[in-house]
Amino acid sequence: MRRSPLIPFAPLSPRLRACLGWGSFLLPLMVWCAVSYVPVLWHPMVRIQDRGDITYLQPGQLIDRHTLARENARIEAIGGTPATGKRSNPIFLPAPHEVGTALYRAFKTPPRRANEPWFHESIGHSIRIIFTGFVWSSIIGLPLGILCGVYGSVSRLTEPVVDFIRYMPAPAFGALAVAILGIHDAPKVAIIFIGTFFQQILVVANTTRKMDPSLIEAAQTLGAKPRHLLFKVVLPGIASDLYNDMRILLGWAWTYLVVAEYIGASSGITFFINQQARYRNYDNVFAAILIIGIIGFVTDRILDDLRLAVFPWKSEGKKPLLFRFLVRNPPPPAGDAA
Amino acid sequence: MTAPLIIDPDAYRRQSPEVAARFEKLKQRPIILEVDKLRKEFDSAHGSHVAIEEISFQVRRREFVCVLGPSGCGKSTLIRILAGLDFPTGGDVRLDGKTVRGPGSDRGMVFQGYTLFPWLTVKQNVMFGLKVGGKPGHLAESEAREWIALVGLSKFENHYPHQLSGGMKQRVAIARALANNPRILLMDEPFGALDAQTRAQMQSYLMQIWRQIDVTILFITHDLDEAVYLADRILVLGANPGRVMELIENPVPQPRTPEQFQSEPFQALRARLDALIHPPSLHKEDKLPLTRMTVVGDDVI
Ligand SMILES: Nc1ncnc2c1ncn2[C@@H]1O[C@H](COP(=O)(O)OP(=O)(O)OP(=O)(O)O)[C@@H](O)[C@H]1O
Ligand SMILES: [Mg+2]
Repeated sequence: MRRSPLIPFAPLSPRLRACLGWGSFLLPLMVWCAVSYVPVLWHPMVRIQDRGDITYLQPGQLIDRHTLARENARIEAIGGTPATGKRSNPIFLPAPHEVGTALYRAFKTPPRRANEPWFHESIGHSIRIIFTGFVWSSIIGLPLGILCGVYGSVSRLTEPVVDFIRYMPAPAFGALAVAILGIHDAPKVAIIFIGTFFQQILVVANTTRKMDPSLIEAAQTLGAKPRHLLFKVVLPGIASDLYNDMRILLGWAWTYLVVAEYIGASSGITFFINQQARYRNYDNVFAAILIIGIIGFVTDRILDDLRLAVFPWKSEGKKPLLFRFLVRNPPPPAGDAA
Repeated sequence: MTAPLIIDPDAYRRQSPEVAARFEKLKQRPIILEVDKLRKEFDSAHGSHVAIEEISFQVRRREFVCVLGPSGCGKSTLIRILAGLDFPTGGDVRLDGKTVRGPGSDRGMVFQGYTLFPWLTVKQNVMFGLKVGGKPGHLAESEAREWIALVGLSKFENHYPHQLSGGMKQRVAIARALANNPRILLMDEPFGALDAQTRAQMQSYLMQIWRQIDVTILFITHDLDEAVYLADRILVLGANPGRVMELIENPVPQPRTPEQFQSEPFQALRARLDALIHPPSLHKEDKLPLTRMTVVGDDVI
C-alpha cells in the first residue's frame, strides 16, 4: 500500500525531493536551450550572411524573418539575387553558452575607461550597499521588533505607524534621500534600510508573539524573573524563527538593490548592467542578472546550512553539510521505553 | 475481572488501625499550603463566569493530595492560582503562612503538555531553575545530574526534548521542578497525554520519588484509579460552579502497589468517587438524543 501523493502535505521520499529540486533548475534551463538551439521553435530573426542585391542590409545584421521574406520576394521579382542568412533569436535572448562565456569574460575584461570599475568591483560595491543597509536596519529593527512582540505597550506605540509607513514604497524616498544624503552611497543604503526596516519590525514582532506562552509560565514557576524570561526564554525560544525571518528579509533587501543603485550616481551591478545594455551586450546583461541571483541564492543556502548547525533542535533530523564541524557529537536517538 | 461487591456505601470511611494511625500522625505535621475561601470569576463577553465558587482546604507537609473532578470544574484554574500564574477574585492562598502573590520557585509545577525548553538539552533544562536562582554553573550541573539520575535518565542528559518519548519528557519535567527544592510540587494532569502502560509506569516512578525525597505533592487528575493509587487524601470537586464536594482520607494502606487495585478499601473508595463524579441522576442526561438510522438487526443491540 502506498499513500496517495494527492493527500495534502504528503511527505516526499528523499530521492524524489532531490530529483525535483534539480529538476526545478534543469527544466527552465532545458526550455532556454531548446529555444536557443532548435531553430524551428522560435528564431524569428535572420542573421544576414550574404546580402545579395538588397543594398541596405549589412552582413551580420539581424532582420525579422517575415520582413526579409517580403524583401527577397520583391528583389526576385525584379530579377535580383535574394539575401541569405541564418535563422537566429533576437539580440535580447542570448543562448546559454553565450551567457556562460560572458559570465567568465566579464570577470576578465578590464573596464573600458580607467575610472570605471571592474565587474567584481561592481559586485563588491553592490554587496556592500546591501549589507550596510541590512545591518543598520537590523541593529534597530531587531530589538524594536522583539520589544513590540513582547510588550503590548511598545507594540501599540510603534506598530500602527509602522504599518502605515510600510505602504509607502521605498524608492519613493529616493529623491529625498539624495537631497539629504548626497549622490554617493548614503542614499542607496538609506533605500535598502527603508525597504527592510519597516517590514522587519512587523515580521520580528509577529514571530516573537508566536512564542509558546506555556514556556514563559513554566519558567516563572522555576523562579525566572522578567529579565530571565526575556533573555533566557523568549530570545532563545524565538532565535531559530528569527534567523529564518532574517534570511527572508535579506532576500527582500536584494530586491531593492537595483532601485537603490539607480539613485544618485548609478553604481554597482546596476551601473554595469546599464553600460552593457547601452553597448547592446545583452549576454553581459544576462550574466550580471544571473550573478545577482547566484549570490543571493548561494548566501541563502549557506545560511540555511548554518541554521542546521546552530539550531540542532529545529533541524528535523537534517544534518548540515558545510558546517558539520560545528555540531557536537549528536547523541543517538532515544530508544529506551517510557 | 471480578471486583468485590460493595454493599455498604460508607465502606470507604473504614480505616484499618495502621491507616488511622498514619492519618493521626499526618495531622501532627505542619501545614504547608492553605487555601482559604478561594473564588475565581472570568469576565467574558456574556458577563462574568464563576469558575470556582468557594474552595478551602489545607495540605500538610509530605502529604500527597489528589484533586479529582469532572472536566471544566476548575481544576486547572485552581492549580494555576496556587502556582501564582493566575489571580483569585476572592479568598487567599498561603504557603507556609505567607500569602502567594505570584509565581515562585517555592512551588514547582508540572504541566500536562511537558513544557520543556526545546532549545535546551535534558541537563540544561534541569539546570534552568538552579541557574536563574543564582547557583554557579558547576554546582548547578552536578545537582542537575543527581536529579536526572533520580528519574533514571542519566543516559539521555545530552538529548534534546524532541528526541525523548512522552514519558521521558515528563520525567525530565519532574526532575526540573524538583531541582528547585520546592515546598510543594503542583502537577496538572501530568500523565494525561500518556498511554495506559506508560502512565502506570509513571505513577509508580512518582510514588518512588515521593517516598525518597521530602516533597509535598498536589496532583490533579480526572482518573479515579490514579487518584486512589497515589493520594493520601482526595479533594473531590464538583462542576458549575467549581466547589468542594468532599475531602476524603484514602483507606488504602501505604506503600501502594498495583496489587491493591483489587483490595476492598481500594474498591470501596473507587465506588464512592464514582458515585460523586457520576451521580446517578446525570446518567440519564448522558444519553444522546439519537435517532436510529440503521435497519434493525439482531446482530447489533
Ligand atoms: N482564561 C479563561 N477565560 C474564561 N474562562 C475560563 C478561562 N480559563 C478557564 N475558564 C473556564 O473556567 C472553567 C474551569 O476551567 P478549567 O480549565 O479550570 O477546568 P478543568 O477542571 O481543568 O477542566 P479539564 O479537566 O478539562 O482540564 C471552565 O468552564 C472554563 O471554560
Ligand atoms: Mg485542566
